[in-house]
Amino acid sequence: MNGNLAVELVGVRKAFDGHLAVDDLSLAVPTGSVFGLLGPNGAGKTTTLRILMDILGPDRGEVRLFGRPRRDEDGARIGYMPEERGLYRKMQVDEQLAFLGELHGLGRARARQLTREWLARLGLAERAKAKVEALSKGMQQKLQLAGTVLHDPELLILDEPFSGLDPINQGLFRELIADFSRRGRTILFSTHVMEHAEKLCDRIALIARGRVVLSGELAAIKRERGGNVWRVAGHGDLAGAAQGLAGVERVLAAGEGAVRLVLADPAAAPRVLAALAGAVEVTEFRSEEPDLETIFVRTVHDAN
Amino acid sequence: MRIDRVATIARREYRAGVRTRGFWISTVLVPVLMAAMLVLPTLLLMRTRATLRVVVVDGGGGLGGRLAAELADEPGPGAAPGVAPDLPGRPKREEAARFAVEVRPAAADPEAERAALDREVLAGTIDAWIRLGPDTLGGSKVPYHGESVSNFVTQRVLADALTRVVSEARLTEAGIDPAAVAELTREVELETVRVSAEGARAETGLTGFMMAYFLFFLLYMVTLLYGQQVMNGVLEEKTSRVVEVVLTTARASELMAGKLFGICAVGLTQLGIWFATLLALTAPGLAASLLRLPAGASVPSLSLGVTLHFLAHFVLGFLLFAALYAAIGAASNDLREAQQLASGMVILLVLPAVMAVTVINDPDSVQATVMSLIPLFTPLLMLLRIVVKTPPWWQIALGYATTAAFVAVLLALCARIYRVGILMYGKRPTLAELGRWIRHS
Repeated sequence: MNGNLAVELVGVRKAFDGHLAVDDLSLAVPTGSVFGLLGPNGAGKTTTLRILMDILGPDRGEVRLFGRPRRDEDGARIGYMPEERGLYRKMQVDEQLAFLGELHGLGRARARQLTREWLARLGLAERAKAKVEALSKGMQQKLQLAGTVLHDPELLILDEPFSGLDPINQGLFRELIADFSRRGRTILFSTHVMEHAEKLCDRIALIARGRVVLSGELAAIKRERGGNVWRVAGHGDLAGAAQGLAGVERVLAAGEGAVRLVLADPAAAPRVLAALAGAVEVTEFRSEEPDLETIFVRTVHDAN
Repeated sequence: MRIDRVATIARREYRAGVRTRGFWISTVLVPVLMAAMLVLPTLLLMRTRATLRVVVVDGGGGLGGRLAAELADEPGPGAAPGVAPDLPGRPKREEAARFAVEVRPAAADPEAERAALDREVLAGTIDAWIRLGPDTLGGSKVPYHGESVSNFVTQRVLADALTRVVSEARLTEAGIDPAAVAELTREVELETVRVSAEGARAETGLTGFMMAYFLFFLLYMVTLLYGQQVMNGVLEEKTSRVVEVVLTTARASELMAGKLFGICAVGLTQLGIWFATLLALTAPGLAASLLRLPAGASVPSLSLGVTLHFLAHFVLGFLLFAALYAAIGAASNDLREAQQLASGMVILLVLPAVMAVTVINDPDSVQATVMSLIPLFTPLLMLLRIVVKTPPWWQIALGYATTAAFVAVLLALCARIYRVGILMYGKRPTLAELGRWIRHS
């Protein structure tokens, strides 16, 4: 077992009433990485994070935090934001934050000081004495995030942190994650929006139907999965011409007057180009690094 | 179990609890009600309508004049019954007489006379009339006609005065001195003294009884209300999913303990305010002078010892019911489900309420002793026994010990249900599933 892993799941399995939510799932999140847990809705992301947070007990398998089994005091080193956000609705904003800080082991004075700092940073200082229920949804989400990071945790675990956020707050959340990453913190978050993962993560794990179908460094995955994706631009029915050609595995739309071809083997490229050029006018034919979306769709498709 | 986390959670609960409007309204309102209970009887007597204008038709025998003289001596309704109005050192009250009497000789035609007098009553020039005849001494009934016949106190006074006049006349007729008879048949009064370890104190049976019931239902009420507050709090945390955040650092047992301590402290704060008020109100002499109650009028008394027993039994009773309510809240998905489950629990509170009558009537009976030593009922029934008649010390001690032990076991069981239930969403668990939660968690 690696001591440099902030989070490690080994062979975890969890079933609910006969439905297998997570099956033989293993994850390794290196300390200091930004790790994206990706997958379609219902893939088992939230269940995985809940097992990690000891909210659910796994039926089988092992959970390790900071290179050893979970300990009681680990809670103070982790900031967890559940998918369904939860705050005390009747509580004052500043007291809510200070309470969460104290619960995570901060002293009272320190918790209050950090509360003031974070409320100012998130533009909530004026609402410090308001009740939580009087805040807008966006403000409540910012408050929730502040409660997650107030105690400056070593490990941030965020379940769908961007869901329901407007673009401005999405930017704010991304900025915050990037800031934590720069300071050497480990961040593990789940999302089904590949764009967020692509911009933030250095490592990902893709899960589908409770199993990891792809995992590793994002750059390596792109490199591996690249090389056989080609962008073709031109005039005429490109898709029709490409469809059914020998060596073409899949044809994907790539905007006006262009298609993206997934080839079975990079060596087939010259043959495909020649065949295409004979049928339509080709203005561009180049190798392309696939975006995560493409990899995601392909991998999930293959896994099924 | 980490004490600092329990304390953080308890402090949050306490602050949330004492800041609600409901808490302060009830905190202020109950002492006002207590004060009202003390003065209300006096106030009610004062509010009785001032003077009854009554016509006494004297059908012969001279009773009318004597009755008028007797009624003129009646003190007005403002004075408390049984108290001499000219007590030294007490300013004489300004008060209207209870009766304004007009004696009229009987007319020749009784029917016409009755009709004329009834018309006067209806017109409002008089309030009532009675008719005395020669046969009144013989024991026949005296007709009383009035628009209102429900002013019982005034009618009673009138009837008493009439009885005195008639019996005096009868005694005189029989050649006996009425004054000597009055002296010889003077009533014997009981002075009720409750004997307890804290010392004897004069107290009438009625006020002691009222105090016992009052304390019993106060305890019943606060136990129920604060228990339900625990249930609502647990449900709120569960449905708002705050619990997922809190439980990443605190254990479920810490969250439950903090919640119980915090809400218990809210209850003790409120009870503290109430009892301080009650102790002050019932302090000897204080209430009487503040409320200008007549000397000798009794005010229910409350001792510090009873107060401490009350608070101790509140803590035990609260923990007992709060443990159950916390488990119910955690095992439910919404308020409706929780209330269905909780409705069954009210029986645990209703049973002692039914038993209360037996305990008050005979606090030493076997039933009362046995019931008050069943842990589920001890908080309410043992307290009642302590208020009515202090039981042997070993019974009190046994009650505390068995209840504390029972509460400890119950807390452990309920904490297990709580721990599983608080993070379990979806269908309501069956009893069998609850049993499995207890065994496997």
